[in-house]
Order: sequence, then structure tokens, then C-alpha cells
Amino acid sequence: MRLTNVSFRYRRRAPVVLHDVSVRLAPGDLVELTGANGAGKSTLLRLMAGVTRPTTGAVTGRPVAVGYAPDRFPTAQPFTVTAYLDHMAGVRGGAGWRPWSERLNMGHLLKLPLRELSKGSAHKVGLAQALMADPGLLILDEPFAGLDADTRSALPAIVADLRAGGTMVIASDHQAGLRGLPGLRVWTVLDAQVKESEPEAAPGFATVEVVLPTADMGSFLDRMRAEGYEARPLRDDGHHAEESSR
Amino acid sequence: MIALTGFRVAAYLRSHRVFQALLPILALLGILHASRAPRGEEAAALTDAAVLIIPFLAWAARSLLDTEPDDQRVISATSVGGHGREVGAGLLAALSVTLVFSALTLASSLFLGLEALPDAPVLTAAIILHVLAALAGVALGALTSRPILPSPALSIMALVLGFLAMLLLSATPAYWLTIPVTAWMKSAGHGALTADLPLLAAVSLAWCLAGLAGYVRLRRTRP
Repeated sequence: MRLTNVSFRYRRRAPVVLHDVSVRLAPGDLVELTGANGAGKSTLLRLMAGVTRPTTGAVTGRPVAVGYAPDRFPTAQPFTVTAYLDHMAGVRGGAGWRPWSERLNMGHLLKLPLRELSKGSAHKVGLAQALMADPGLLILDEPFAGLDADTRSALPAIVADLRAGGTMVIASDHQAGLRGLPGLRVWTVLDAQVKESEPEAAPGFATVEVVLPTADMGSFLDRMRAEGYEARPLRDDGHHAEESSR
Repeated sequence: MIALTGFRVAAYLRSHRVFQALLPILALLGILHASRAPRGEEAAALTDAAVLIIPFLAWAARSLLDTEPDDQRVISATSVGGHGREVGAGLLAALSVTLVFSALTLASSLFLGLEALPDAPVLTAAIILHVLAALAGVALGALTSRPILPSPALSIMALVLGFLAMLLLSATPAYWLTIPVTAWMKSAGHGALTADLPLLAAVSLAWCLAGLAGYVRLRRTRP
């Protein structure tokens, strides 16, 4: 798959979001897309998905089946998880989503209305609908955001399996959750250009101690987890609680 | 694309947004049919109903298209294999719903709004006008839907003013510059509907298709 001299702007006279971008993906490639907020990562992902047309330039060689998991799954829809995934499977021509729901540990969510899902649970639904079609190109927008620890550790294995089958995977990923996988390419969107750089080594981990009022503990933990960190209470001594976040 | 059309209609029905259009339509039909049209005025009564229903059909089409969250549109487009198919499925779903409302209007007019059933040519003309009303509703609703006009206030004003402009412009000699709904009513009132229908239907169909083509074109840069 190839993007050749692709430029994009939302309107005539609007600023250029991407300028003269040429990149190439081969079957089995894995790309981590980085860049500041608003740099144009999501625009590039949508161009690759074929949802947005480039203002100039061409996208060629896009696989027939594309899976796209947004960073915020749209829960404001009047379906249960099962009904939603059944509909999406129908749109995909009868794709099977149940194996993916097991692998993403979603069994307990299936009967729930989409509106009642937490951010992480909704994200799993977004991943399941993207994975069900056996995509040739898998596009993941912040795939680790809000996921529970089990699914966070399962996702790199899923990506590795798909790559082995020839799927191209591109993920915008602030949390560098795919850094451990071999052959990772890193693209950075900066000043409307896409530059490829050598991947940094897998990030190390640190445990920090935070002291905060007991009343704030729940919201603090939720906030840390929503940002993708592993956070758990260590001690509640009656005067204050200590949290560990990694 | 048919499966995605079904998904869009299911979301519209399950979200209960369908009642936002159905209830005003039922109220309109109640007012229209409070007294039955006398014999000989079947064409005028059926045409009036076909015109008056258009803003409600546009409201229904807009509401159906706006049921889908923006991010879901992106998911749907990748699932169905392209942006064009996603747009097509939305329009097809909107047309399905407006055709049902239009058929409901025609049926209630025939059985509750007339003293006598019309003859076959008038009935055929009425069916054509109700199909054109459904198409006009889809075009107006699509052009005022969220991807085109993100502001709800502007969108609702554009929908209402669009219909009023249609009424006013088609009352002038330049009626062919829009969907000539007032010309439909004038022609039916003068007993000339079946004779004038080919021209009026051709102009109406052309404007409906132009509106839909405009929507499809605008959506190319508004995914």
C-alpha cells in the first residue's frame, strides 16, 4: 500500500494538514504513529482508511478489508454490544466476531447497552468490530487508551498474530504499547510531514508513590487508569492513602 | 450496503427519534382530514397533503442521518468498504423512512380525507407526487444534516427556510428554479394535474437529484 505525494486540507484556503506525504506499507508491517495532538495523526489514519480523500496525491494498494478502531468508540447508539456487533458483522458480509470477543475478554459486556459501557469497555467493542473482518489493513487510534491490564497485555499478541497473516497494522499510540514487537516502524507527523525514525528501545517502567487525601483516591485511580497507567492502592492508614502508578 | 441501510434504520427506530417525525405527521393528518374533501376536489386534497408533508419528511430524513454519531460514520465507512457506500446507505435509509411516511400520508388521505376515491389518473398522479415529496424530503434533510451544517440552530433554520423558499419561488413564473410545489397545488386546484404532471414531475425530479448530488459532493470533504 502506498501514499504518493498526498496532501490534505479540510477546506480551500484552510491550512494544510498534510503536505506532499509519500509513504509505503508492505504486508506484515507494523507502524507506530506519533506526533503532538492536532498534528494530523487522525487525518493520516483516515486517509489510509479511505474515509477521507486526499486533496492531492493518491493512495493505492489499499486492501479490500480495512479495520478501523477509533480512539473514542461512539457509545451513543441504541444497541446492546451483541446487537451492535451483529449489525457490523452483517455489514461486513457475515464476519465472525465472537472469537474476538473472547480474546478481548468481553463476555460479561455482551448484553449491556453501549451507553452503559465504561471508556475501556467501549474501546474493546471498537477493537472487536475492527478485528472481525480479518482486515488486510488494521488502523488503531490510541488502542491502549483505557484498556484493562489483561487486554493491554493481550493486544500486542493479537497484533503479532495478524502481522504473521500479512496484515498491515498502523497505530497512533501515545503509550508505546507495541514497542516490544519486532520490526516496529515509527512514523512521526510534524509540520504537515511524515518522517520515519528508528524506534526507541522499549520504555522502562518506574513505580512512583503519590500521597493524597483518601477522598481523592477513587478519582485519581480512575484518571490514571483512563490514561493507560497501571494504578492500585497500596495502603490506607486512616490519615492518607498511598497509590502506586506505573 | 443493504445491511448498513438496515443498521441505520434500526438505529433510527430504536433511538425513538422516529416519533419526533411521526407525531407531528399524525397531528398534521388529523388537521388535514378534519373534514373530508368534497367530490371533484380529490386531486387538490391529495396534492396539498403531498406538499405539506415535505418539511416533516425532511425533518425525518435529517433526524435519521443525524442519529449516527460522527465516529460511527467512520467505522461504517470502513466496514462497508468505502465512504461512497456509507453515504449511499444513509440516503437509502432516509428514503425508506420517508417513503413509509409518505405512503402513510397518502393512505390516510385516501381513506380518511376524501368523500370519494379518485379516478385512476388522479391516483397515479398522487402516488408520483408522494414519491417526489419523499425524495424532496430526503434532499432537504440531507443538505441540512450534521456533516453539512454542524450547528443545530442553523440546520433547523435552513430546513424551514428552504421549504418556505421552495413554496414562494414556485409560486412565481420562475417556478422551475426549484421543486415547484406551489405549481403542483395550483395545477391540481385548476383540475390540470394529470395534464401538467409530466413537466412538473420532470422539473421536481431534476431538482431532487440535484440536491442529492450536491449532498454527495459536499460529503466528499465532510466525512
